[in-house]
Amino acid sequence: MKKRFLVIFTLVLAVMAMAFAPVQAQENTLNVAWPYTVPPTGHFNTFATNGIVLGQYQDLHEPPLAILLWATGEYEGMIAEEFGWDDDGNYVVKMVEGYTWSDGSSMTADDLMATFNIFRLRGDAVWANMTGIEKVDDYTVKFVMDAPSSLVERLILITNLRPASVYGDIANRAAALEPGDEWDALLAELTEFRPEAPVSGGPYTIIPDSINEANIMMELNPGGFAGDIQNFDSVRMWNGETEVVTPLVANEELWYITHGIPPTTEEAFATQGIDIVRSGMNNGPGIYVNHNVYPLNLVEVRQAIAYVIDREQNGFVSLGESGVAVEYMDGMSDGLSDAWLSDETIDSLNFYEYSPETAEALLEGIGFSRNDDGIWVDDNGDTLSFELTFPQEYADWSAAAENATAQLNDFGFDITARGVQFQQHPQDIYDGNFELAIRNWGLGDPIPARSFLEAYNRYNGQGELAGEGVGGGMGFDVNVAYSGGEINVFDISNASSQGVDAAAQAELVTELAVSYNELLPAIPLWERYTNNSLNRNYISVPDASDPIYANFGGGADNWMTYLILTGVAAPADM
Amino acid sequence: MLQQILKLPLNILLFGWRIRGNRAGLIGWIGIVAYFILTFIMPMFVEFDDEPKLDEITGPLGSRIVLVVHKDDADIKTFEDLEGKTVGVVSQTGGPILIEPYADTLTVESYRWSSRRDGPGIQAALVDVANKEIDATLIFSKSIEEFIYNQEDAELKDLFEDNLVISNPEFGPPHILGTDTQGRDIATHIVHGGRVLILTAVIGGVISTGIALVLGSVSALLGGVVDNVATALTNLILAVPRFPLLVVLAGLIRFDNTLLLGVLIGLLGWPALMRAIRAQVLSLRERDFVEAAQSLGLSTNHIMFREILPNMISFVSINFIFSITFAMYEQIGLVVLGLAPISDYTWGVMLYFGRTRGTLFNPDGASMALSPVLAIALFQVCLVLFARALEEIFDPRLRSTA
Amino acid sequence: MASNTNNIETSQENNVLDTLYDLTQKITKNYTIRIFVQAFFTILAVMTFTFVLIRLMPGNPIDVLIEQILVQEGISYREAYDRVAASFQFDPDATIFDQYIEWLTDLFRFDLGNSITSPGTRVIDEIARFLPWTVFAVGTALLISFVLGIVLGMTMAYYRNSTLDHVLSLLASFMTGVPNYIWGLLIVIIIGIQWGLFDVGAMRGTYDSDVTPGFNSAFIISAIQHATLPIITYVVSTLGSWMLNMKSSTMSVLNEDYVNVAEARGLKDNRIITAYVGRNASLPLFTQLTISIGFVLGSGVVIEEIFVYWGLGHYLFQSITVRDYTSMQGVFLMLTMTVVLANVFADLTYGFLDPRVRISGEK
Repeated sequence: MKKRFLVIFTLVLAVMAMAFAPVQAQENTLNVAWPYTVPPTGHFNTFATNGIVLGQYQDLHEPPLAILLWATGEYEGMIAEEFGWDDDGNYVVKMVEGYTWSDGSSMTADDLMATFNIFRLRGDAVWANMTGIEKVDDYTVKFVMDAPSSLVERLILITNLRPASVYGDIANRAAALEPGDEWDALLAELTEFRPEAPVSGGPYTIIPDSINEANIMMELNPGGFAGDIQNFDSVRMWNGETEVVTPLVANEELWYITHGIPPTTEEAFATQGIDIVRSGMNNGPGIYVNHNVYPLNLVEVRQAIAYVIDREQNGFVSLGESGVAVEYMDGMSDGLSDAWLSDETIDSLNFYEYSPETAEALLEGIGFSRNDDGIWVDDNGDTLSFELTFPQEYADWSAAAENATAQLNDFGFDITARGVQFQQHPQDIYDGNFELAIRNWGLGDPIPARSFLEAYNRYNGQGELAGEGVGGGMGFDVNVAYSGGEINVFDISNASSQGVDAAAQAELVTELAVSYNELLPAIPLWERYTNNSLNRNYISVPDASDPIYANFGGGADNWMTYLILTGVAAPADM
Repeated sequence: MLQQILKLPLNILLFGWRIRGNRAGLIGWIGIVAYFILTFIMPMFVEFDDEPKLDEITGPLGSRIVLVVHKDDADIKTFEDLEGKTVGVVSQTGGPILIEPYADTLTVESYRWSSRRDGPGIQAALVDVANKEIDATLIFSKSIEEFIYNQEDAELKDLFEDNLVISNPEFGPPHILGTDTQGRDIATHIVHGGRVLILTAVIGGVISTGIALVLGSVSALLGGVVDNVATALTNLILAVPRFPLLVVLAGLIRFDNTLLLGVLIGLLGWPALMRAIRAQVLSLRERDFVEAAQSLGLSTNHIMFREILPNMISFVSINFIFSITFAMYEQIGLVVLGLAPISDYTWGVMLYFGRTRGTLFNPDGASMALSPVLAIALFQVCLVLFARALEEIFDPRLRSTA
Repeated sequence: MASNTNNIETSQENNVLDTLYDLTQKITKNYTIRIFVQAFFTILAVMTFTFVLIRLMPGNPIDVLIEQILVQEGISYREAYDRVAASFQFDPDATIFDQYIEWLTDLFRFDLGNSITSPGTRVIDEIARFLPWTVFAVGTALLISFVLGIVLGMTMAYYRNSTLDHVLSLLASFMTGVPNYIWGLLIVIIIGIQWGLFDVGAMRGTYDSDVTPGFNSAFIISAIQHATLPIITYVVSTLGSWMLNMKSSTMSVLNEDYVNVAEARGLKDNRIITAYVGRNASLPLFTQLTISIGFVLGSGVVIEEIFVYWGLGHYLFQSITVRDYTSMQGVFLMLTMTVVLANVFADLTYGFLDPRVRISGEK
């Protein structure tokens, strides 16, 4: 008995020891990462939550109509061979021919129709501006709308194509319905729909049996879009958040991640010889003030805050070289400002360069003064004491908050920083339950209106959208008076993405930028740049100077998927 | 009162002498005294480093500021040598802080850390020294790597290598434990980070062990209804999910008070220990000496404190120590949830930030996460070693024959 | 006559009441039944409390998911809201009471409901997917830690104050002084990356992806291999406390008279160690073991993340993050039941293990 036990015990030990044997790396596999959920929670319905979509790599199995090249502002068609407005103000898309889905069905306009019909069932924003879709022929679809707008064009073109063979049934039934009980029932059916196997129209297909919590294997799909120009035979998609994928990158088993890594890890990678790719993300943390709190509603106080904080220090402390201080302070990123504003406009902006003296002059000019402890006191005799809240779990924002608090307090404010659970924090802002808070200025989108609407809509009480009981956010009155006149910034923001006349849009964007710069409804601190880790020893991609890297990735228009879909990304030894 | 305080160091030494026979216990006792000095006394002499220094981020152990001068001035090595000279420092780095006391004796040339137009201030300072526009500059040891040895601009590299020399590589005070992700010295954080943590943890440990002891023994000794109620209550508290409870609490209250935080942690930790103690007492209750005491008519109090407890002292003390360490790490969770203020930069908070800011993956920076862990673990080691001495005092059978 | 009829009726009533009274007396008198009944009500009470508690947490599934999508994809609030509101069948306006009754009735049919954030997926399926791995890894580690702890603890007690004792004491107190996730990270970073002793990527997950689950040797080997690192981490972080507890327990037993008597009688050392000292010294540790079993399921969330060894801890943490109420309830039910039943087991078996207690229980 004892002997048998010993034998079994030694066997088990031997097996465990085998865990320490090295394993060969697979040839010609592209190792990238994106978090996903495993079945049974995860599933293959890419319209429902917890579907195994793989984030930006969705392009690899459900290719997009087109990708925007941020450097030039032009769209490059992928599935969409031709696209543009017709004379009636409708949008027409003609698809490429000759590709098939991994289940054998041809890629035709039926797929595009099915995709958009389901969008309609889901109530996606793209349908807010459209009235209908028409199938013109086997490969062409017309999007019927009242008024053209570049916003709608973008929403159409970044669509990822889904197969009609899987979703066609639900889509056709949805096309015939109007909102009502049957509609809701069909919507519920869509949410609970679970396809048996993933179907891919792109260069790679998910292998269902390979799915486990560590990684997913994707194999080449030769008939799919771009399947014939691939340099890799397979893709291994690693799972996990930053702490989980970092060891893999350090171990060189994972070659490219878009996870934001802390500056310390960045430094360790750089020492190892791993490249860090940085592109601007058009958003970053900023200080939002509650305009219902006196004296934060005085523009001089907000401007003083802007002059007192050295944004370069704040950015560097928070995110190292990927925390790039905002220069123009006009509510959108400096990159977008360069693209949309004229040089004269930019020159006329106030850059709010670090200058505590200017801040002092401003505050004294409105009757504030320092008391005996060196703390600023307003004209009512109250000290400028406020609480600054921030989402605790965001490492870079919490660092920004700590540093901003320290800088403000050095100057004579009396700020207390308090971390809030990240799920709770936006709610607090929406409810107006804050004094100062760190939230994002801008949005990772090439359309300026989106950036401004973060401030003027999302954080300013989205009104009926989020239902009753939602407070007014930061309480900023969108009817403003500035040097260019009196405007309603909310309306102008929406208008600036309508129509297709770029010049007219640019005029509206200019108004938004200049008014924001003068009034500072919120104080942007720094812009977040990506710090994607790229191991050039294993992947060959263009040089750092290539304009494709302006596409920061993380959602649509990611440069890595672009390079894969155009057959440029290749193993390093080739 | 004053006499007692003055006699304190004497008492400490006497106690140490008394337990000298038990070497391990003595070492533990010395360790505890050392920790006390570290966390309660040294903070009065060492200042908490609160200045973010942008160039000193994640400096390795022993890194420090060095003095860089032109080759021709290689004999300038100390602050006295620098009298009357022009020294360049970059704002928001360690330089301005180091030079402040001497600002009267020399001229300070200040460079901005970095600006879009002019680029890195450190580089500008080095260039000026190389061109003899200023006499010296203070620069962090890590920056030497970045700006001189690994300089990518060939021109600058030649300029630096031809003209610069590190006249004093030990100019500034060393960072014994390196620096954290904001460039602040870790050693000062360790000195300041223990007091609140230890106090709270001890309070929590005392409360949880105390409640467990009382409740466990009483319910085991008295049996019957008391036992039923106590056990049911314990089971109930054991079974309630901890995390949602704390999240909800965090939304309702905020603990700024060390004492209250300790009490909360103590209230969370007693159920598991209570059951173990109850089991112990149940078995001890049947022993002959207890039966003897009962037949003598001695009170429950006497039985509990004079008969049963001494037999459990080893068990209780070990678990008391574990509850202290448990309370220390528990605090991290509470700070993360927002129940406790982050402004108290304790070892637990250091560990949390060190881990979430990825310092463990960087050999230079790992000290930020590992120093607090080491501090806590060594504290536990000292307590465990010391517990042996206590065992001997309480349980005569364990005394080693000298 | 009227009074006679009344008497008969009253006596019949009395019989019913009497029977009930007898029944309850029997229940409360019998130790075992009473414990089980108590356990049942404890579970019910805790579950009800939990039901309300998790809904008191700030945030709800819709808001949380909206924020998640916003952060990940950078789309506008409006779009995120549309998408999420459409995909959920969660009605935040239904009263808590209705939800509770519905959940309770489902529960008696062994139906734990559907996940809120993943409609169409049953909670019981998700638990079945994740539970076995936690039980396997943490359970095995607990066993190894316990046995090793007993052996080493006794050794420390026997050789008290020797060098071996000092070294082991130091190791034990240090190991438990470091939190388990730090051990995990250090193992991955130092042993995996720096020393290259194992393939970090290949050792992730619960088993290799090219192996089919089932009772075949490839799967079993793969499962054991992948569990090795998490098990080592758990053992390292808990071994010390078992060692020190066992040592203190053994020390108090070693000085007992019956041990001296046994030695005087000339019994073999082996016999004394196992039958006399070992058995008595490990008694208090058994209670702790049963309590630890109760906590097996909930521990090690971070370990599960680091080694990507997803078990119940990971699933619980995910459901809490997205505020998926039904999933949370399912997991908490498992946890509560395990803790309570482990306590029941402890209460019942302790009398079996330690005859002295058994006697008192029957007093």
